[in-house]
Amino acid sequence: MSAELLEADVCVVGAGAGGAVLAAELAEGGARVVVLEQGPRHDPDGFTARPMQMMARLYRDAGQTFTLGNPPILLPLGRGLGGTTLVNSGTCFRTPAHVLGRWREEHGLELDGGRLDGCFARVERALSVAEVTPELAGANAAVARRGAERLGWSHGYLRRNARGCVGSGVCAFGCPTSAKQHTGITYVPRAQAAGAEILTGADVRRVVVREGRVQGVQARLAPGGPPSGGASARQSAAASARRRSAGVLEVRAPRVVVAAGTVHTPGVLARSGVGAASGALGRNLVLHPATAAFALMDEVVDMAKGVPQSFYVDEFAAEGIMFEGVAGPPAYAALALPLTGARHRAAMADYRRLAQFGLMVSDDSRGAVGERLIRYDLSARDVAKFRSGLAHLEELLRAAGAREVYLPLPRGVTPERARARDLKLMAFHPLGTARADADPARGVLDPDLRVHGIDGLYVADGSVMPSSLGVNPQITIMALATRLAFHLLGRPAPSAPTTDEEVPCPS
Amino acid sequence: MADRTALDGFLHAAPWPQRVGLHVLLALGRRPRGVALLRRVAGVEQLAQGVIGMERYEAPAVARALGWDPEAVVARGRALRRAEGRP
Repeated sequence: MSAELLEADVCVVGAGAGGAVLAAELAEGGARVVVLEQGPRHDPDGFTARPMQMMARLYRDAGQTFTLGNPPILLPLGRGLGGTTLVNSGTCFRTPAHVLGRWREEHGLELDGGRLDGCFARVERALSVAEVTPELAGANAAVARRGAERLGWSHGYLRRNARGCVGSGVCAFGCPTSAKQHTGITYVPRAQAAGAEILTGADVRRVVVREGRVQGVQARLAPGGPPSGGASARQSAAASARRRSAGVLEVRAPRVVVAAGTVHTPGVLARSGVGAASGALGRNLVLHPATAAFALMDEVVDMAKGVPQSFYVDEFAAEGIMFEGVAGPPAYAALALPLTGARHRAAMADYRRLAQFGLMVSDDSRGAVGERLIRYDLSARDVAKFRSGLAHLEELLRAAGAREVYLPLPRGVTPERARARDLKLMAFHPLGTARADADPARGVLDPDLRVHGIDGLYVADGSVMPSSLGVNPQITIMALATRLAFHLLGRPAPSAPTTDEEVPCPS
Repeated sequence: MADRTALDGFLHAAPWPQRVGLHVLLALGRRPRGVALLRRVAGVEQLAQGVIGMERYEAPAVARALGWDPEAVVARGRALRRAEGRP
């Protein structure tokens, strides 16, 4: 099998929240960048607003990735340019200050005290991050707002990376208006315009390391796979030609950044024989396990008309419990409704009057990812958070005027008696499997996100985080990638914005 | 037929253990005696019926009857992207 050879200053593995940001910042800073993305480039003209079709196309394993443990947890991951930012809800929270404080105290990471503010501001500008308006949020958010106001609970509209959003209601199934500013349509085009070469269908097998120094990357290229892109039409054509003719690609680069995501980055490092010294590689997996309840309202809600995730209730954030909006079209609701038989059919007949709201837990449980399996058991402490959270969620929906509340529990099981195996959970924020820690005995990466003991090898995705955030992680990943890009360019990180540009974190 | 294709695509894109498992669950979930069998395992009946329901409500005509028109959503998106030069 012939091997094609590329050379670059930096090779970036993955084009999701971390890799795309890093590639754009590096390329615009003058570096020669090659990006290797395993998934395809998705054309919005192919988005159908039909959940089942789009899950098969946009998600890894058709969205059927799950963890093994008590309980099993569905863990949907995006696949393609943009990574999971392609299919997430677009919610943007800066890292809570107490989390950054904990990272300093327990892991020696000096990111608190406003050190990341300039990076956050730069990301937020690039992604047009702004608060959802009540009109765009729709009636599903209005239900939660009414409940929170009647109970006197802290709440607000979420900040999102969207521009020109009309509330299509299918953020998780491919935004048909391209309003959601995922990295596949923001940072990736910037990277290409600045000269980066982006290869899709590139399955990275290993990072080549000799005598403690990175040499490059070896990848398999899918024959006849999706097209690739480069800095210009000529380069794109050349890249496409390479894709058709070559089965193996080697990228020689003195610096490699692995950004394959929390579930897959440990595999890339392990196959490369690096990062295992601390014993932390692949371990310390946190997920923000989540669930949701439905409510039957008197009024028409039409939950999919508006921004599905537009509103939050953070009254119990200090206890590790966060409520956020969730909604979708009838096919989505049919899958998510925690009912069976005639009750399921009756609830679906009343779809227009159904509201839904989600519950996410900042987890203390720890799992592990292997080459094939993901292990995760919910700790007793996290089960207690779900018991409390589900009781509060029911209270919220009843206060909003719900006629009936459908909790994600077996019939006859109340929140206070729920066991781990009773919970119907999903998770969207895997983090921590290559955590950073100043002590090489406790972490895979140093505070600059370099693999301990390996010159030139870095990581830039959710795996770097030492703990749960308690909030959606996408712009934390992007801010850390921005910081790393400036570090690799040998430049100071973006400076903090002026006071009037600062954005408070609600939790 | 279109919806059968959607389900086939959903199953085809799954890893083989999930694909095989779902084939079995769906076969049982479509038969009364199979449903009775699924009911014995907590959560499994809900999963099977959820996927069957997802296929049913994915059909545009069925979704439209519930106030959701995927074709209109897509057409509006396409028009906006063309008119405003969005990606």
